[in-house]
Amino acid sequence: MTSSYLLSWTTFVYLGAAALYLIHWVFRVQKVGLLATLTTAAGLLLQTAGIIMRWVESYKLGYGHAPLSNLYESLVFFSWLTIVVYLIIEWKIKQRVIGAFATPFASLAMAYASFSPRVEDTIQPLIPALQSNWLIAHVITCFLGYASFAVACGLGIMYLIRPQAGSSGVMAVLPEHRVLDDLMHQTIIFGFLWLTIGIITGAVWANQAWGTYWSWDPKETWSLITWFVYATALHARFIRGWKGKKIAILSIVGFVSVMFTYFGVNFLLSGLHSYGSG
Amino acid sequence: MGKKNSSKSNPVWNFITSVKLAVFLLLTLAVTSIIGTVIPQGEPLQRYLEHYGPAFFKVIKALHLYDTYNSWWFLTLLGLFALNLIACTIRRIPFTIKLWKRDSLALDLDRLMRFRLKKQWKVAGKPNPHILEKIKDVFQKEAGSVTAQKELESGQIFMVERGKWSYWGLYGLHASILIVLVGAVIGSLTGFKGNLMLPEGEAADHVLDRKSGQPQPLGFSIRCDKFTVSFYDTGAPKEFRSDVTILENGKEILKTPLRVNAPLTYKGITFYQASYQPMPEAQIRLISPDGKETRVTLPAFQKVPVPDLRLVLGLYQYLPDVHGVPAVRVWIEDGSSPARTIWVLKGNAKEFSSGSNTYRVSLVDVRNKYMTGLQVKKDPGVWIVWLGFFLMIAGFVVVFWVPHRRIYLWVGEQGGKAAVVLAGQSNKNKIHFEKDFEKVAEAIEKSLEE
Repeated sequence: MTSSYLLSWTTFVYLGAAALYLIHWVFRVQKVGLLATLTTAAGLLLQTAGIIMRWVESYKLGYGHAPLSNLYESLVFFSWLTIVVYLIIEWKIKQRVIGAFATPFASLAMAYASFSPRVEDTIQPLIPALQSNWLIAHVITCFLGYASFAVACGLGIMYLIRPQAGSSGVMAVLPEHRVLDDLMHQTIIFGFLWLTIGIITGAVWANQAWGTYWSWDPKETWSLITWFVYATALHARFIRGWKGKKIAILSIVGFVSVMFTYFGVNFLLSGLHSYGSG
Repeated sequence: MGKKNSSKSNPVWNFITSVKLAVFLLLTLAVTSIIGTVIPQGEPLQRYLEHYGPAFFKVIKALHLYDTYNSWWFLTLLGLFALNLIACTIRRIPFTIKLWKRDSLALDLDRLMRFRLKKQWKVAGKPNPHILEKIKDVFQKEAGSVTAQKELESGQIFMVERGKWSYWGLYGLHASILIVLVGAVIGSLTGFKGNLMLPEGEAADHVLDRKSGQPQPLGFSIRCDKFTVSFYDTGAPKEFRSDVTILENGKEILKTPLRVNAPLTYKGITFYQASYQPMPEAQIRLISPDGKETRVTLPAFQKVPVPDLRLVLGLYQYLPDVHGVPAVRVWIEDGSSPARTIWVLKGNAKEFSSGSNTYRVSLVDVRNKYMTGLQVKKDPGVWIVWLGFFLMIAGFVVVFWVPHRRIYLWVGEQGGKAAVVLAGQSNKNKIHFEKDFEKVAEAIEKSLEE
């Protein structure tokens, strides 16, 4: 059994968890909620085992590098982090409804990684440009940002579909606007810090590998565009007092920019970061 | 007073310091940055004309869209952004000073009782110094040392205040962005970037500046002794390595390998392994009609005159593997007929004629030499950029996670009985603060029960 086989199974575990979270939300069965959390945790364990296995396999092949070096591995890591960030939030606010919005992201990322013909899942050796200790620091920080923004986007969607307090129905079970707004803000701040550190580690690394800390490469430029969007959201909130709906929309716009930085740049534009597309 | 009013109503100042301008600039920078990721940058102008047609080419040329991020309008936007950042930050200073100077102890019991986070206890008996000391001790043990205290008409109030300085974190964060920009400007004004193609065995004492095209002296020489490239079984490159020597006045100073991700810095100039080019060197043998043998070495990119035979030869093309043997395409010029090329495979001699003579040409061997491609950079501003990055992360942590928190303890008399009130406030991370507050409250409650 290979790691990629094991990892492809997490797609279905997270899909199952998403279904359970949905049932828990719509029919309000407490026990199903617990089952959903347990399923998600089991998926996370399976995925963690898969990632460790892949790491070990790369050493057996004689390449020996952390599984963070191409699109497949980054998708697996993105999915893994989204689940980690979500489980922390679930544990902190003791509510499970958000799970119905977070687990599909993780399942979708794994499905794309495992079953798209565009994504190569074999372990490849590191080309010279990637042979650096900065690889791990850069990828982990960037993806902590991406995963937080994914969760913030999910929260933004929830904010927009939730009716005003006092109404009834399925949507009214979602956390209150006040709670969603606060969570969204906290997650954006968290993601913004990691995106900033991700850009900084990237700059330091680029200076070491290419001799320039900023070269307006499409990936760099798009990460800066994303940074501008979230900087706008934070300033609009601090100074203009923007809250709720406006921030929810900015959170979704910001995530579109994140997705373009992640995928769009690789598939539509060319540049120095081309190894992210294979 | 008059001066203040005039500065407040100055429309230019108001515009520069407005948050509207800040948001407008952030979003405009975001949107205009997209242009340079969609239109390829730094190509020869002719390419844009071919690809986009004459109408759009005019726009590209007028707006410098072939080099968007160095265009006048983009640099103007960045300059405005810096100006707006400075102006907004300066405008905020009085507000921060007010926050910072505000006396956190300027309150009374009534105000304390209106805090969202508070606890109160009644204690049997009249207040006495013994109880006061005991409670104060417990309070200090849990909440930290008292930073200020004062007498109120009905009792005493103690305060533990932390992180008031965090109001200044914002200035560090904003300054860090300016520091990064200053570092970038200093780097581009006082440094240079260049490319250096260095064949094995050769040395260079200058590089061509990428922007101006002018030679930039290094102040020393760098020689490429050997270049090696290795591959994985998959065919992907594993390592590019140049063994280089630094020379000063002809003396060898330093020998070191240069790899991708492991550059060499000498006297403030850094060399990066960037590319390479194979430079084959072919050895051929010519046999004249009279049976005389001539050996000629043909390096890449050079014409080699062979005066005895009145020929000029060159290596036009090289294929390492044609049906299992190496092959070279030899370029021949003899002054009379136009230049031509012939393919020569190893172990398979060919004939060609020049004038009335017919020569047999055969390939002796091809040696694979390389030319290493180095990026050369001098950037005295890079340390300022690093300082800016460090300050940015530190400023971030202060702005978002260092709270200004205050915990108050009031001990006094209420309705003839001793009473204790605990209240607290934090401007950030309120959930965490509530937990800390609960701990202090529990400790005080426990001590009162004893």
